Amino acid sequence: MGSKTITSFLRIFFLLFLQALVVSRLQLLDGFVLPWVYIFGILMLPFDTPKWLVLILAFITGYFMDLFTGPMGMHMTACVVLGWLQPMVQRLMSPREGYDAIQEPTIQKMGLSWYLTYAGILTFCHHFILFYAETLRITPFWYQIGHIVFSAIGTLILLVVGQYLIFNKKVKN
Amino acid sequence: MKNIIELLKRHFVFVLFLILFVFSLVVLFSSNRYHKASFVSQSSDWVGKIYDWRDQLQRYLRLKEINDQLALENANLRSQLPENYFFIDTTTHNVQDSIRKQRYFFRSAKVSNASVNRESNYLTLDRGRLGGILPNMGVINNGSVVGVVTSVSDHFSVVLPILNPKFQESVKMKGSGDFGLIAWPPGSDPAYADVKDIPKHVQVSIGDTVLTTGYGSHFPADLFIGYVSELNDQPEENFHRIKIQLATDFRKLSHVQVVSDILKQEQDSLLIQQQQRDGVEDNN
Repeated sequence: MGSKTITSFLRIFFLLFLQALVVSRLQLLDGFVLPWVYIFGILMLPFDTPKWLVLILAFITGYFMDLFTGPMGMHMTACVVLGWLQPMVQRLMSPREGYDAIQEPTIQKMGLSWYLTYAGILTFCHHFILFYAETLRITPFWYQIGHIVFSAIGTLILLVVGQYLIFNKKVKN
Repeated sequence: MKNIIELLKRHFVFVLFLILFVFSLVVLFSSNRYHKASFVSQSSDWVGKIYDWRDQLQRYLRLKEINDQLALENANLRSQLPENYFFIDTTTHNVQDSIRKQRYFFRSAKVSNASVNRESNYLTLDRGRLGGILPNMGVINNGSVVGVVTSVSDHFSVVLPILNPKFQESVKMKGSGDFGLIAWPPGSDPAYADVKDIPKHVQVSIGDTVLTTGYGSHFPADLFIGYVSELNDQPEENFHRIKIQLATDFRKLSHVQVVSDILKQEQDSLLIQQQQRDGVEDNN
Protein backbone atom coordinates (compact mmCIF):
# COMPACT_ATOMS: atom_id res chain seq x y z
CA MET A 1 0.00 0.00 0.00
CA GLY A 2 2.82 2.37 0.96
CA SER A 3 4.75 2.19 -2.30
CA LYS A 4 1.49 2.23 -4.28
CA THR A 5 0.44 5.46 -2.58
CA ILE A 6 3.80 7.10 -3.26
CA THR A 7 3.65 5.99 -6.90
CA SER A 8 0.17 7.52 -7.18
CA PHE A 9 1.39 10.82 -5.71
CA LEU A 10 4.40 10.96 -8.01
CA ARG A 11 2.23 10.09 -11.00
CA ILE A 12 -0.22 12.90 -10.18
CA PHE A 13 2.57 15.48 -9.91
CA PHE A 14 4.37 14.27 -13.00
CA LEU A 15 1.13 14.55 -14.98
CA LEU A 16 0.45 18.04 -13.65
CA PHE A 17 3.81 19.21 -14.98
CA LEU A 18 3.34 17.33 -18.24
CA GLN A 19 -0.04 19.03 -18.67
CA ALA A 20 1.16 22.53 -17.80
CA LEU A 21 4.46 22.44 -19.66
CA VAL A 22 3.70 20.34 -22.73
CA VAL A 23 0.10 19.33 -23.40
CA SER A 24 -1.47 22.73 -22.74
CA ARG A 25 0.87 24.20 -25.36
CA LEU A 26 -0.50 21.99 -28.12
CA GLN A 27 -2.58 24.07 -30.49
CA LEU A 28 -4.77 21.49 -32.21
CA LEU A 29 -7.19 23.10 -34.69
CA ASP A 30 -6.76 26.55 -33.11
CA GLY A 31 -7.51 25.26 -29.64
CA PHE A 32 -10.72 23.54 -30.66
CA VAL A 33 -9.26 20.31 -29.28
CA LEU A 34 -7.75 20.90 -25.85
CA PRO A 35 -6.81 17.65 -24.07
CA TRP A 36 -6.51 17.56 -20.27
CA VAL A 37 -4.41 14.45 -19.61
CA TYR A 38 -3.62 15.31 -15.99
CA ILE A 39 -6.83 13.55 -14.88
CA PHE A 40 -5.05 10.26 -15.66
CA GLY A 41 -3.50 10.52 -12.16
CA ILE A 42 -6.99 10.30 -10.64
CA LEU A 43 -8.27 7.66 -13.07
CA MET A 44 -5.28 5.42 -12.22
CA LEU A 45 -5.84 5.36 -8.44
CA PRO A 46 -5.99 1.68 -7.29
CA PHE A 47 -9.44 0.15 -6.80
CA ASP A 48 -8.97 -0.13 -3.03
CA THR A 49 -8.28 3.59 -2.48
CA PRO A 50 -10.80 4.94 0.07
CA LYS A 51 -13.44 7.22 -1.47
CA TRP A 52 -12.55 10.17 0.75
CA LEU A 53 -8.90 9.92 -0.30
CA VAL A 54 -9.89 9.95 -3.99
CA LEU A 55 -11.91 13.11 -3.33
CA ILE A 56 -9.09 14.86 -1.46
CA LEU A 57 -6.48 13.90 -4.06
CA ALA A 58 -8.73 15.10 -6.89
CA PHE A 59 -9.29 18.38 -5.07
CA ILE A 60 -5.53 18.93 -4.59
CA THR A 61 -4.85 18.06 -8.23
CA GLY A 62 -7.46 20.58 -9.35
CA TYR A 63 -5.99 23.23 -7.06
CA PHE A 64 -2.51 22.87 -8.53
CA MET A 65 -3.82 22.80 -12.09
CA ASP A 66 -5.65 26.06 -11.34
CA LEU A 67 -2.41 27.61 -10.13
CA PHE A 68 -0.93 26.84 -13.53
CA THR A 69 -3.76 27.92 -15.78
CA GLY A 70 -5.17 31.18 -14.46
CA PRO A 71 -8.50 31.96 -12.82
CA MET A 72 -8.87 29.84 -9.69
CA GLY A 73 -11.69 27.35 -9.24
CA MET A 74 -12.29 25.87 -12.71
CA HIS A 75 -10.17 22.74 -12.34
CA MET A 76 -11.01 22.47 -8.64
CA THR A 77 -14.74 22.23 -9.42
CA ALA A 78 -14.29 19.77 -12.28
CA CYS A 79 -11.84 17.58 -10.33
CA VAL A 80 -14.01 17.41 -7.20
CA VAL A 81 -16.88 16.10 -9.32
CA LEU A 82 -14.46 13.69 -11.02
CA GLY A 83 -13.21 12.44 -7.64
CA TRP A 84 -16.77 11.87 -6.50
CA LEU A 85 -17.85 10.05 -9.68
CA GLN A 86 -14.74 7.85 -10.02
CA PRO A 87 -15.59 5.32 -7.24
CA MET A 88 -19.25 5.30 -8.40
CA VAL A 89 -18.33 4.45 -11.99
CA GLN A 90 -15.90 1.80 -10.74
CA ARG A 91 -18.64 0.20 -8.65
CA LEU A 92 -21.16 0.30 -11.51
CA MET A 93 -18.70 -1.41 -13.83
CA SER A 94 -17.30 -3.99 -11.42
CA PRO A 95 -16.98 -7.51 -12.89
CA ARG A 96 -19.17 -10.24 -11.35
CA GLU A 97 -16.38 -11.60 -9.15
CA GLY A 98 -15.37 -8.11 -7.92
CA TYR A 99 -12.04 -6.36 -8.26
CA ASP A 100 -8.88 -8.05 -7.14
CA ALA A 101 -7.48 -5.89 -4.31
CA ILE A 102 -4.17 -5.20 -6.01
CA GLN A 103 -5.58 -4.29 -9.43
CA GLU A 104 -5.29 -0.87 -10.93
CA PRO A 105 -7.62 0.27 -13.71
CA THR A 106 -5.30 -0.17 -16.72
CA ILE A 107 -6.01 -1.42 -20.23
CA GLN A 108 -3.67 -4.36 -19.72
CA LYS A 109 -5.58 -5.61 -16.69
CA MET A 110 -9.17 -4.67 -17.52
CA GLY A 111 -9.30 -4.77 -21.32
CA LEU A 112 -9.67 -1.98 -23.86
CA SER A 113 -13.47 -1.79 -24.05
CA TRP A 114 -13.83 -1.71 -20.24
CA TYR A 115 -11.21 1.00 -20.05
CA LEU A 116 -12.69 3.14 -22.83
CA THR A 117 -16.11 3.10 -21.15
CA TYR A 118 -14.66 3.85 -17.71
CA ALA A 119 -12.31 6.62 -18.85
CA GLY A 120 -14.79 7.89 -21.44
CA ILE A 121 -17.59 8.58 -18.94
CA LEU A 122 -15.27 10.25 -16.44
CA THR A 123 -13.33 12.27 -19.02
CA PHE A 124 -16.50 13.57 -20.62
CA CYS A 125 -18.02 14.59 -17.25
CA HIS A 126 -14.79 16.30 -16.22
CA HIS A 127 -14.40 18.19 -19.53
CA PHE A 128 -18.05 19.17 -19.53
CA ILE A 129 -17.91 20.78 -16.08
CA LEU A 130 -14.46 22.26 -16.70
CA PHE A 131 -15.54 23.94 -19.91
CA TYR A 132 -18.70 25.48 -18.52
CA ALA A 133 -16.87 26.53 -15.34
CA GLU A 134 -14.42 28.35 -17.59
CA THR A 135 -16.87 30.13 -19.90
CA LEU A 136 -19.98 30.43 -17.66
CA ARG A 137 -22.23 30.79 -20.70
CA ILE A 138 -23.89 28.49 -23.21
CA THR A 139 -24.23 30.53 -26.38
CA PRO A 140 -22.50 29.01 -29.43
CA PHE A 141 -24.09 25.77 -28.24
CA TRP A 142 -22.97 23.25 -30.87
CA TYR A 143 -19.50 24.75 -31.06
CA GLN A 144 -19.16 24.30 -27.31
CA ILE A 145 -20.49 20.75 -27.34
CA GLY A 146 -18.11 19.95 -30.21
CA HIS A 147 -15.23 21.46 -28.29
CA ILE A 148 -16.03 19.33 -25.24
CA VAL A 149 -16.56 16.09 -27.17
CA PHE A 150 -13.46 16.43 -29.34
CA SER A 151 -11.30 17.51 -26.41
CA ALA A 152 -12.50 14.44 -24.50
CA ILE A 153 -11.69 12.23 -27.49
CA GLY A 154 -8.25 13.84 -27.70
CA THR A 155 -7.66 13.15 -24.01
CA LEU A 156 -8.79 9.52 -24.40
CA ILE A 157 -6.48 8.94 -27.36
CA LEU A 158 -3.52 10.34 -25.43
CA LEU A 159 -4.41 8.20 -22.38
CA VAL A 160 -4.70 4.99 -24.41
CA VAL A 161 -1.57 5.59 -26.49
CA GLY A 162 0.33 6.61 -23.35
CA GLN A 163 -0.65 3.42 -21.56
CA TYR A 164 0.42 1.19 -24.44
CA LEU A 165 3.76 3.02 -24.54
CA ILE A 166 4.45 2.94 -20.78
CA PHE A 167 3.03 -0.32 -19.47
CA ASN A 168 4.11 -2.62 -22.30
CA LYS A 169 7.74 -2.03 -21.31
CA LYS A 170 7.02 -3.14 -17.76
CA VAL A 171 5.59 -6.42 -18.99
CA LYS A 172 8.71 -7.16 -21.03
CA ASN A 173 10.99 -6.56 -18.07
CA MET B 1 -28.06 15.10 18.04
CA LYS B 2 -26.72 11.55 18.13
CA ASN B 3 -28.78 10.74 15.08
CA ILE B 4 -27.33 13.65 13.15
CA ILE B 5 -23.79 12.51 13.93
CA GLU B 6 -24.69 8.97 12.87
CA LEU B 7 -26.15 10.32 9.63
CA LEU B 8 -23.04 12.39 8.96
CA LYS B 9 -20.83 9.36 9.60
CA ARG B 10 -22.79 7.20 7.21
CA HIS B 11 -22.74 9.83 4.44
CA PHE B 12 -19.25 11.09 5.25
CA VAL B 13 -17.98 10.91 1.65
CA PHE B 14 -21.02 12.72 0.27
CA VAL B 15 -20.74 15.47 2.91
CA LEU B 16 -17.04 15.84 2.11
CA PHE B 17 -17.91 16.06 -1.58
CA LEU B 18 -20.50 18.76 -0.92
CA ILE B 19 -18.09 20.81 1.20
CA LEU B 20 -15.30 20.64 -1.41
CA PHE B 21 -17.71 21.30 -4.28
CA VAL B 22 -19.28 24.36 -2.66
CA PHE B 23 -15.81 25.64 -1.73
CA SER B 24 -14.65 25.26 -5.35
CA LEU B 25 -17.70 27.07 -6.66
CA VAL B 26 -17.15 29.95 -4.23
CA VAL B 27 -13.53 30.23 -5.37
CA LEU B 28 -14.61 30.01 -9.01
CA PHE B 29 -17.19 32.77 -8.82
CA SER B 30 -15.18 35.09 -6.61
CA SER B 31 -12.11 34.80 -8.85
CA ASN B 32 -14.13 35.57 -11.96
CA ARG B 33 -15.74 38.64 -10.50
CA TYR B 34 -12.55 40.20 -9.14
CA HIS B 35 -10.40 39.24 -12.02
CA LYS B 36 -7.37 41.05 -10.67
CA ALA B 37 -7.23 38.91 -7.56
CA SER B 38 -7.17 35.77 -9.65
CA PHE B 39 -3.88 36.75 -11.17
CA VAL B 40 -2.11 36.57 -7.90
CA SER B 41 -1.91 32.92 -8.83
CA GLN B 42 -0.48 33.49 -12.31
CA SER B 43 2.07 35.95 -11.09
CA SER B 44 2.84 34.08 -7.89
CA ASP B 45 6.49 33.35 -7.63
CA TRP B 46 6.88 29.61 -7.92
CA VAL B 47 4.49 29.12 -10.81
CA GLY B 48 6.23 32.06 -12.46
CA LYS B 49 9.58 30.37 -11.93
CA ILE B 50 8.41 27.12 -13.47
CA TYR B 51 7.05 28.90 -16.53
CA ASP B 52 10.24 30.92 -16.70
CA TRP B 53 12.29 27.74 -16.69
CA ARG B 54 10.21 26.24 -19.47
CA ASP B 55 10.49 29.42 -21.43
CA GLN B 56 14.27 29.49 -21.13
CA LEU B 57 14.34 26.05 -22.70
CA GLN B 58 12.01 27.12 -25.49
CA ARG B 59 13.89 30.32 -26.14
CA TYR B 60 17.11 28.36 -26.48
CA LEU B 61 15.55 26.21 -29.15
CA ARG B 62 14.34 29.25 -31.04
CA LEU B 63 17.48 31.39 -30.72
CA LYS B 64 18.05 31.84 -34.41
CA GLU B 65 14.53 33.00 -35.14
CA ILE B 66 14.60 35.35 -32.16
CA ASN B 67 17.95 36.78 -33.22
CA ASP B 68 16.57 37.58 -36.65
CA GLN B 69 13.54 39.17 -35.08
CA LEU B 70 15.69 41.24 -32.72
CA ALA B 71 17.94 42.46 -35.49
CA LEU B 72 14.93 43.50 -37.51
CA GLU B 73 13.42 45.15 -34.49
CA ASN B 74 16.62 47.07 -33.72
CA ALA B 75 16.68 48.40 -37.25
CA ASN B 76 13.03 49.34 -37.01
CA LEU B 77 13.44 51.10 -33.69
CA ARG B 78 16.46 53.02 -34.88
CA SER B 79 14.53 54.38 -37.80
CA GLN B 80 11.52 55.12 -35.64
CA LEU B 81 13.38 57.02 -32.95
CA PRO B 82 12.40 60.57 -33.95
CA GLU B 83 8.75 59.53 -33.90
CA ASN B 84 8.84 59.01 -30.15
CA TYR B 85 9.46 62.71 -29.64
CA PHE B 86 7.17 65.64 -30.08
CA PHE B 87 7.80 69.24 -31.05
CA ILE B 88 7.79 71.95 -28.45
CA ASP B 89 6.45 75.08 -30.10
CA THR B 90 9.45 76.15 -32.17
CA THR B 91 8.44 79.74 -32.70
CA THR B 92 8.79 80.69 -29.06
CA HIS B 93 11.20 78.15 -27.62
CA ASN B 94 13.83 77.80 -30.28
CA VAL B 95 16.47 79.04 -27.83
CA GLN B 96 16.52 75.59 -26.22
CA ASP B 97 19.22 73.10 -27.17
CA SER B 98 16.73 70.57 -28.33
CA ILE B 99 13.46 71.27 -29.99
CA ARG B 100 12.13 67.91 -28.99
CA LYS B 101 11.36 66.38 -25.63
CA GLN B 102 10.96 62.68 -25.01
CA ARG B 103 7.42 61.52 -24.43
CA TYR B 104 7.41 57.70 -24.59
CA PHE B 105 9.82 55.35 -22.87
CA PHE B 106 10.25 51.69 -23.87
CA ARG B 107 11.29 48.78 -21.69
CA SER B 108 11.88 45.33 -23.12
CA ALA B 109 10.40 42.23 -21.50
CA LYS B 110 10.15 38.55 -22.27
CA VAL B 111 6.85 36.70 -22.50
CA SER B 112 6.99 33.88 -19.97
CA ASN B 113 3.50 32.50 -20.49
CA ALA B 114 0.81 33.10 -23.07
CA SER B 115 -2.51 31.65 -24.12
CA VAL B 116 -4.15 32.30 -27.49
CA ASN B 117 -6.87 29.70 -27.74
CA ARG B 118 -9.05 30.50 -24.71
CA GLU B 119 -12.20 32.58 -24.47
CA SER B 120 -10.20 35.26 -22.64
CA ASN B 121 -6.46 35.18 -23.13
CA TYR B 122 -3.68 36.66 -21.02
CA LEU B 123 0.10 36.99 -21.28
CA THR B 124 2.58 36.93 -18.41
CA LEU B 125 5.79 38.98 -18.70
CA ASP B 126 8.96 38.27 -16.74
CA ARG B 127 9.30 41.86 -15.61
CA GLY B 128 7.27 43.48 -12.84
CA ARG B 129 7.08 46.41 -10.50
CA LEU B 130 10.81 46.24 -9.71
CA GLY B 131 11.48 46.40 -13.46
CA GLY B 132 9.51 49.64 -13.72
CA ILE B 133 6.26 48.18 -15.05
CA LEU B 134 2.97 49.59 -13.82
CA PRO B 135 -0.67 48.74 -14.65
CA ASN B 136 -2.15 50.48 -17.73
CA MET B 137 1.12 50.63 -19.66
CA GLY B 138 0.87 49.61 -23.31
CA VAL B 139 2.68 46.54 -24.65
CA ILE B 140 3.95 46.41 -28.24
CA ASN B 141 6.01 44.08 -30.37
CA ASN B 142 7.96 45.20 -33.41
CA GLY B 143 5.95 48.41 -33.58
CA SER B 144 2.57 46.71 -33.47
CA VAL B 145 0.07 46.55 -30.63
CA VAL B 146 0.00 43.56 -28.25
CA GLY B 147 -2.05 44.66 -25.23
CA VAL B 148 -2.21 46.57 -21.94
CA VAL B 149 -0.68 45.65 -18.56
CA THR B 150 -3.45 44.89 -16.05
CA SER B 151 -1.75 43.65 -12.90
CA VAL B 152 1.79 43.61 -11.61
CA SER B 153 3.71 41.70 -8.94
CA ASP B 154 7.33 42.32 -7.97
CA HIS B 155 8.84 40.23 -10.76
CA PHE B 156 6.00 39.47 -13.14
CA SER B 157 3.19 41.30 -14.85
CA VAL B 158 0.00 40.20 -16.57
CA VAL B 159 -1.05 41.68 -19.91
CA LEU B 160 -4.56 41.90 -21.33
CA PRO B 161 -3.91 41.29 -25.06
CA ILE B 162 -6.09 42.17 -28.04
CA LEU B 163 -7.20 38.53 -27.87
CA ASN B 164 -9.43 39.20 -24.87
CA PRO B 165 -13.01 40.52 -25.01
CA LYS B 166 -12.15 42.96 -22.19
CA PHE B 167 -9.52 44.70 -24.32
CA GLN B 168 -10.75 48.11 -25.49
CA GLU B 169 -8.85 50.58 -27.58
CA SER B 170 -9.83 53.14 -30.17
CA VAL B 171 -8.33 52.69 -33.62
CA LYS B 172 -8.30 54.73 -36.81
CA MET B 173 -8.14 54.03 -40.51
CA LYS B 174 -4.84 55.21 -41.94
CA GLY B 175 -6.13 57.13 -44.93
CA SER B 176 -9.28 58.84 -43.69
CA GLY B 177 -8.44 59.03 -39.99
CA ASP B 178 -11.91 57.84 -38.93
CA PHE B 179 -12.14 56.29 -35.49
CA GLY B 180 -13.50 52.90 -34.53
CA LEU B 181 -13.22 50.39 -31.72
CA ILE B 182 -11.32 47.13 -31.86
CA ALA B 183 -13.00 43.99 -30.50
CA TRP B 184 -12.06 40.35 -30.51
CA PRO B 185 -14.96 37.84 -30.57
CA PRO B 186 -14.26 35.46 -27.64
CA GLY B 187 -12.68 32.20 -28.70
CA SER B 188 -12.18 33.14 -32.35
CA ASP B 189 -9.10 32.86 -34.55
CA PRO B 190 -6.12 34.57 -32.84
CA ALA B 191 -4.92 36.05 -36.14
CA TYR B 192 -8.01 38.24 -36.66
CA ALA B 193 -10.11 40.83 -34.82
CA ASP B 194 -13.11 43.04 -35.62
CA VAL B 195 -13.29 46.82 -35.97
CA LYS B 196 -16.63 48.39 -35.05
CA ASP B 197 -18.28 51.80 -35.18
CA ILE B 198 -16.85 53.01 -38.47
CA PRO B 199 -19.81 54.60 -40.31
CA LYS B 200 -20.76 53.44 -43.79
CA HIS B 201 -20.03 56.75 -45.51
CA VAL B 202 -16.32 56.16 -44.87
CA GLN B 203 -14.74 54.30 -47.74
CA VAL B 204 -12.97 51.19 -46.52
CA SER B 205 -11.33 48.67 -48.79
CA ILE B 206 -9.51 45.42 -48.25
CA GLY B 207 -5.85 45.95 -47.45
CA ASP B 208 -6.35 49.29 -45.64
CA THR B 209 -4.11 49.85 -42.64
CA VAL B 210 -5.51 50.23 -39.10
CA LEU B 211 -3.51 52.29 -36.59
CA THR B 212 -3.72 53.40 -32.96
CA THR B 213 -5.17 56.84 -32.24
CA GLY B 214 -2.96 57.71 -29.26
CA TYR B 215 -6.03 58.93 -27.37
CA GLY B 216 -6.15 56.17 -24.81
CA SER B 217 -2.62 57.13 -23.78
CA HIS B 218 -1.69 53.45 -23.48
CA PHE B 219 0.04 53.69 -26.84
CA PRO B 220 1.69 56.36 -28.96
CA ALA B 221 -0.32 57.39 -32.01
CA ASP B 222 0.07 55.65 -35.40
CA LEU B 223 1.23 52.28 -34.12
CA PHE B 224 0.39 49.44 -36.44
CA ILE B 225 -2.56 47.18 -35.51
CA GLY B 226 -3.39 45.32 -38.70
CA TYR B 227 -4.82 45.23 -42.21
CA VAL B 228 -8.44 45.05 -43.29
CA SER B 229 -8.91 41.49 -44.50
CA GLU B 230 -12.69 41.15 -44.93
CA LEU B 231 -15.76 43.39 -45.23
CA ASN B 232 -19.08 41.81 -44.25
CA ASP B 233 -21.38 44.83 -44.47
CA GLN B 234 -25.07 44.27 -43.73
CA PRO B 235 -27.48 46.49 -45.68
CA GLU B 236 -29.66 47.32 -42.64
CA GLU B 237 -26.77 48.57 -40.47
CA ASN B 238 -25.17 52.01 -40.43
CA PHE B 239 -21.68 50.80 -39.63
CA HIS B 240 -19.15 48.70 -41.49
CA ARG B 241 -18.41 45.20 -40.32
CA ILE B 242 -14.66 45.05 -40.71
CA LYS B 243 -12.45 42.06 -40.03
CA ILE B 244 -8.75 42.82 -39.72
CA GLN B 245 -5.71 40.62 -39.78
CA LEU B 246 -3.62 41.46 -36.72
CA ALA B 247 -0.02 42.57 -37.26
CA THR B 248 1.13 40.77 -34.12
CA ASP B 249 1.53 37.01 -34.36
CA PHE B 250 0.47 36.05 -30.84
CA ARG B 251 1.50 32.44 -31.24
CA LYS B 252 5.14 33.35 -31.76
CA LEU B 253 5.40 36.23 -29.32
CA SER B 254 8.57 36.09 -27.24
CA HIS B 255 10.03 39.59 -26.75
CA VAL B 256 7.86 42.66 -26.26
CA GLN B 257 8.32 46.31 -25.31
CA VAL B 258 6.35 47.98 -22.58
CA VAL B 259 5.54 51.63 -23.32
CA SER B 260 5.27 54.21 -20.58
CA ASP B 261 3.90 57.62 -21.35
CA ILE B 262 6.02 60.10 -19.41
CA LEU B 263 3.46 62.89 -19.75
CA LYS B 264 0.41 60.74 -18.98
CA GLN B 265 -0.03 62.15 -15.48
CA GLU B 266 0.23 65.70 -16.70
CA GLN B 267 -2.31 65.07 -19.44
CA ASP B 268 -4.74 63.28 -17.13
CA SER B 269 -4.52 65.81 -14.32
CA LEU B 270 -5.20 68.68 -16.70
CA LEU B 271 -8.36 66.95 -17.90
CA ILE B 272 -9.46 66.25 -14.34
CA GLN B 273 -8.86 69.88 -13.36
CA GLN B 274 -10.99 71.04 -16.26
CA GLN B 275 -13.75 68.57 -15.41
CA GLN B 276 -13.72 69.71 -11.79
CA ARG B 277 -13.90 73.32 -12.88
CA ASP B 278 -16.87 72.52 -15.14
CA GLY B 279 -18.52 70.71 -12.23
CA VAL B 280 -18.17 73.78 -9.96
CA GLU B 281 -19.65 76.06 -12.64
CA ASP B 282 -22.58 73.70 -13.13
CA ASN B 283 -23.29 73.77 -9.40
CA ASN B 284 -23.33 77.55 -9.40
